[in-house]
Amino acid sequence: MSIAANNISLSYKDKDILKNIDIEIKKGEIISVLGPNGAGKSSLLNIISGEIDINNGDVLYEDVPLSKLSIQERAYMRSVMSQSQPIVFDFSVREIVEMGWLDKGNLRYSNNINSAITEVISDCDIKHLENRKFNTLSGGEQRRVHFARSLIQLWRETDNKDSRYLLLDEPNANLDLFHQINLMKMLRELSNDGVGIMIILHDLNLAFKYSDKIAMIKDGSLVAYDEPRKIIDQNILSEVYDLTFDIQLKDSKINISYV
Amino acid sequence: MAERISNSFNLRYLSINQFTILSIFFMIFILVLVAAFSIGSFEFSLISLFIGDTTQIENTIFYEIRIPRVILASLVGASLAISGACLQGLFRNPLADPGLIGVSAGAALGASIVIVFGSTIFSKFVLSTFLLPLAACVGSGIVIFLLFLLTKGFGYQGVTYMLLVGIAINAIASVGIGILTFISSDSELRSLTFWTMGSFGGITWPLLVPAIIIILTAFIFLSPILRNLDILQLGESEAKSLGVDVQKLKYRVIFTSAASVGASVALSGMIGFVGLVVPHLVRLIAGVNHTYVIIGSAILGSSLMVLADLLARILIQPAELPVGLITSAIGSPFFLWLIFRINKA
Repeated sequence: MSIAANNISLSYKDKDILKNIDIEIKKGEIISVLGPNGAGKSSLLNIISGEIDINNGDVLYEDVPLSKLSIQERAYMRSVMSQSQPIVFDFSVREIVEMGWLDKGNLRYSNNINSAITEVISDCDIKHLENRKFNTLSGGEQRRVHFARSLIQLWRETDNKDSRYLLLDEPNANLDLFHQINLMKMLRELSNDGVGIMIILHDLNLAFKYSDKIAMIKDGSLVAYDEPRKIIDQNILSEVYDLTFDIQLKDSKINISYV
Repeated sequence: MAERISNSFNLRYLSINQFTILSIFFMIFILVLVAAFSIGSFEFSLISLFIGDTTQIENTIFYEIRIPRVILASLVGASLAISGACLQGLFRNPLADPGLIGVSAGAALGASIVIVFGSTIFSKFVLSTFLLPLAACVGSGIVIFLLFLLTKGFGYQGVTYMLLVGIAINAIASVGIGILTFISSDSELRSLTFWTMGSFGGITWPLLVPAIIIILTAFIFLSPILRNLDILQLGESEAKSLGVDVQKLKYRVIFTSAASVGASVALSGMIGFVGLVVPHLVRLIAGVNHTYVIIGSAILGSSLMVLADLLARILIQPAELPVGLITSAIGSPFFLWLIFRINKA
């Protein structure tokens, strides 16, 4: 059970953006995607979400080609948090979060909307912002609201066994340290509930601590794709980032600093 | 696969507050209707009409002139306000208005072409009942399609870009209408000038019925996608990832706006600023979600237009003011205020 991207390539006007990438988001796993700006991380996420069509390769949602799934069927399986755009009209925070609610035409499910939203809003620590206008929030607060919205899209009753995947493009951008860590902890809980997660990150320490696998991308190619312990390696990191790193591993703790 | 309920019209998206406001709008609408039915160069007592205590001539004036006129004003007000609200939602631009972005001008150009070139070929009845609304709808449709191309599929381009495109399209359309004015005969010319001013006078039932059908069909076609217009505000790719068929949404809004603006302009000429002012008032009062904004715009747009027409009829009796003059007089300062407000934010 997974979302798999097989041998993906993407080019635009003779420029290769992604070259022969294989990646698999398994149920219950967190895959972090790391790499320099412009490496192709967001393009990869957009291909997996179905936003961009590829020139070569396949994306399979639980062995079904993405092109065979309707826009709505995709929405039930995966939610996406991309780098956000301005919102013109003055929606309240609660209204924005509610937009994530997919009504499945099932009355029992529909009755849960209020409790689901209350739960997610307090998990994301935006309860106090609920009735504020979205446009008056700071950048970090807006990101937390969008994160809550993408969680609402995946909300299910406890006995539900639907496959769910979460695709996040730098959800941590503009977040303070507390909320960054809170977000990662929530992702860990979600993955324990069986959600498959792909997250684009820049923080090596967070990636090491919270991921099951790390994919390192540079210039559109997959440089390394493995467990964090094998990825956090002097040579790999230097190759990707053109920096010298100092890595200290103690028990399960790691401290990565760069020189 | 279960369909999203949000793909159907659902009052659940209205808050209690919004529901109350809409009820108040509706009561205002009824009051305005009663006033518009009774007041004018002929004063009617609705009660004596009801119990049949009226002369033949009073009946004719009421049923053949007053009622169609008020219904037309109400329909045009609703359709301009709704298409304004929809276009604002679709373009994610609070300044989109059928008049400002050239959609009304496109409809007027379409209608003008038919008047000048069609009057020699077709009978007056066929021309004004069927061809005019059709040509106007095609004209407004072409302009919206042009906007679609120029904004790369209604992508978000910032607030001012669309207005600049609108200025250009308005200019092109007025060149077209100018040429037509130049080559038209005297009687055609009188019909043409009508489009630049806007008026609800001279309407008859045979002209009104096709427009009622076009506009109501357009509204029904629009009603299932109101929730999706909300979700579109998150951005196109976000809406898509939330299960909204963005392409289909665009086509529905294009069709609705083209049809309702076309039918309105064909019967009443270009009436500016209603599509801009009304949705904004509605949003200022109780929120921005489209289920509320569209229903509220329809009711408030109707009320304001009927009221504006009432003023047009009675202000300088026995003569009449063009109703477009009244809406522009109210709307243009509002437009300035809006630009100022957006600029500050």
